[in-house]
Formats: sequence, C-alpha cells, structure tokens
Amino acid sequence: MTWVWIAGIGGIVGLDATSFPQAMISRPLVAAALAGGVLGRPVEGVAIGVILELFALVILPIGAARYPEAGTASVAASGAYAMTAGGVVPDLLLLAIIFGLAWEHLTGASVRLLRRWNEWIVADAPRRGAVSAARLERLHLAAMAIDLVRGGVVSVIGAALGAWLLRRVHPLWSMPGSVVLGVLAVSGAAMLGAALPLFGGWKSRRIAFVLGILCGSLLLLTW
Amino acid sequence: MRITAAPHVVTRLDAWTRASVFLRSFAIQGSWNYRTLMGGGFGFALLPALRRIYADQPERLSEAVERHTQLFNSHPYLAPMALGAVATMEAAGEGPQVVERFKTAVRGSLGTLGDRLVWAGWRPVCLLFALALLLAGAAWWVGVVAFLVVYNAGHLLLRLWVYRLGLREGKGVGERLRQSPLGNVQRALPVVGAFLVGLAVPAAAAGRHLVAGGAENRPGGPWIVAAALAVIVGARFGARIRTPVVISLLAFAFLGTLVRILS
Repeated sequence: MTWVWIAGIGGIVGLDATSFPQAMISRPLVAAALAGGVLGRPVEGVAIGVILELFALVILPIGAARYPEAGTASVAASGAYAMTAGGVVPDLLLLAIIFGLAWEHLTGASVRLLRRWNEWIVADAPRRGAVSAARLERLHLAAMAIDLVRGGVVSVIGAALGAWLLRRVHPLWSMPGSVVLGVLAVSGAAMLGAALPLFGGWKSRRIAFVLGILCGSLLLLTW
Repeated sequence: MRITAAPHVVTRLDAWTRASVFLRSFAIQGSWNYRTLMGGGFGFALLPALRRIYADQPERLSEAVERHTQLFNSHPYLAPMALGAVATMEAAGEGPQVVERFKTAVRGSLGTLGDRLVWAGWRPVCLLFALALLLAGAAWWVGVVAFLVVYNAGHLLLRLWVYRLGLREGKGVGERLRQSPLGNVQRALPVVGAFLVGLAVPAAAAGRHLVAGGAENRPGGPWIVAAALAVIVGARFGARIRTPVVISLLAFAFLGTLVRILS
C-alpha cells in the first residue's frame, strides 16, 4: 500500500508541476508533507519539505529554462525517510534531504525527456497527418497521462532507491544530532537569505527586511 | 461562409462554452514542448469555442485548429486572457492574420508580467508566509493548508479576472491590462516578500523548523551565529549560492562517513 500511496502522490505532484493545474501541490513543502503524512511521519515530512522548499524558492520556472523538479524529489525523500526511520533521527533527516537535492536533478531530466516526447507526439503530429479537433484532444490528454505516470514512476523509484541508500549509508555515518541540525539550520538560513534578491535585494528592500527581522526577533523572544 | 463582426460578440459563446474554455485553460501546459511551447495546449483549451463558432464548417474548424496549435507562450495563469480575447476575436470573425498578430503581440508581455507577478512575487510571498507560520510553531498541517488556500485564492481570482477581461475586451485587452491595478500589486509584493524573509530569519537561524530532529538536538549559540552569517552571505549572492550549499551538504555527508570509519 505504501508504494501505491507514493505513486499516487508522486503522479499528482508531477502533473501539478507543469501540466495541470499548477495549484502548487508540487511545492516541496506540500509534496513532502503529503508523503510524510500518508506514511505516518507528517512532522518529519514537513521538516524535509521546509528545507527543500528553501532550496527551491530561488528557482524560477521562466520560459524554457531547465531546472530540477523538486516536487517529486520531495515525495521520494520524504517517502524514503518514512520507510527507513522508526522515529526521530536527525542523521536520516539530513541524508534524506541530501538525497532529495540529488534526486531532483534526475526528476528534472525526466521532465526534459517528456518535453522532447511531447515535441514528437504533439508538435510533430501535423507531419503525420491532419490534426483534427478530436485528435488534438487525444494527443494533449495522452501527454498529460504520460506526465502523471512519469511523476508516479520517478517518485516510486526515488523512494525505493532513497530508502535503500539511507539503510546502507546510515550505519556507516556518525555525527552528533546537534551538529547535524546545526548544519541544516545554517544551510536553510543561507537559502532563506538567498530569497531576498528575489524581491529586489538588500539595497532596495533593506527597510522592509530589517523591520521583518525586528518583528521576527520580538516574536521569537515572546515565545 | 465568412462570419462577420457582430455587435453582441460574447453572447455568441454561451456560458457552457465559456466555462469549458476556462476549465481547459488549467491544462494549457499539458503538452508543453520545446518547439511549440504551449501551442498544443492553447488549441486544446480553445476547442470548445472553435467548435461552437465553426459548428457547421468542418474545414474552417480544421484550419482554426491548425492555426491555434502553432507556437504560443505565456504565463499559464495569464494565458486565459489570451484565450478569452482570441475566442472573442474568432467569434467576431476577425481574419486569421489579425488573430495571429494579436497572439504574437501578447505572448511576450503576458509571460513577463506573469513571471514577475506570480513566480517572483505571489508564490514566494505565500510560501514565506507559510514558512513563517511553521517557524512560529503552527501545527504542520496549518502551514501547508494556509499556503494552499491563500495561494490558490489569488491564483483562481487572477485566472478568472484575466479570462473575463479577455472575453470582454477582445483585441483591446492590452490597453485595459495596462490600466489595471496589477502594476500596484506587482510593486507591493516585493516589499511584503522582503519583510517576510526578515520575519523568518530569526526563527530559521534558531533552527525552529527542525523540531522534528528532537528538542535535545536543537542547535546552540555558535550555530545561531553561523546561521545569521549564512543569511548575510545568502542575501549577497542570491540564487548563485544554491549549488555551493548543496555541495557543502554532500561534503558534510562524506565527512560523517569518514568520521565513522576513522573512529
């Protein structure tokens, strides 16, 4: 049943990223939380999702740019963690995140492959005969169906490979939990800072940014 | 027989047809490819209108399908504006050259506007809002649900508004778009975004998002200082810092293995 869940969520996430309906279920925060939630590890799923989201925040899908696909990779990372960890394990959290960051390049490659395939089945279709309205509908829906399957397949393969790797690497790995979380906090903070240039950078947004830090510090102190 | 311009253009497309085109616009990128970009999706989404307009003219329908599956690109959320405008123009009997010129003219501007407004504005702002909620200690599902609800409220409103604008204005939609309040929204979003980045910084530096790692493992003082410095470095280099950070994490993973082997 676990694999069915991962395939289902991965398929929906893969489809949502570009094809339909771009409701942002494919964001790492949502995708990892969903996968972690259905596999019984929602809090860890969100922790993985937050870090992967910080890495994905600075990537803009503009034009025909080639970028990693973080959504299905987040499902794979969250699924791999849920299938490996019996509880809260900082080491595994870090290793799952690293796996997710590596796997997203492969999922991104699968998207590029799909786009080439779409070129053949949709853009080249007139060369193989007149494209009637009904044929256009069939081709378009077929392309979407392939995207759905692609999302499910890369998520399942990723989760299986990730779980296998985590089980292999974890016994060979040793770092104190506080160091692991410290490294994750630093890398997450660096990526959060990297989001500032998205909004104009330090020079043009320093007042809003500093005001935010002050409010955030006040909130943190009052907790 | 050529369809001539009619005074009540939009009424030619009944509510069902208009709704069908709008719903199909959500799948406009379904066959995205490197040659026609979202051309196939544009034709797919416009089909209900084309079938209605050319109901008894199969040859003209085929010709229209061929025209509308050519190269087209736009931001997916603003593409409904082009769809609405083109549906209105086709219904008014505008010539293929006029429709094609319109599509060529709007595709660049709709893409640029959408990229700035949504991809670099609304989306990161909503995500940072959700991250701020999670960092503030909200339950895991609250942050996720809040993001989906807030983001998609704006997403759906934008799609619906631009589609109706396109249907109503036809080829004059560009002028109306320039007079719209989207420019003000576009100017406000970066300020809100920068504030939210700042708001999230103290909690992120303190490792509040890592509660899943166990309270006893929460990073201490030196890590908080390092995280604060990392924010500055991140803000200085922007997206360019992504690859070095990923490589550093990989190196740390190897270091962990090395420590185990040597100990």
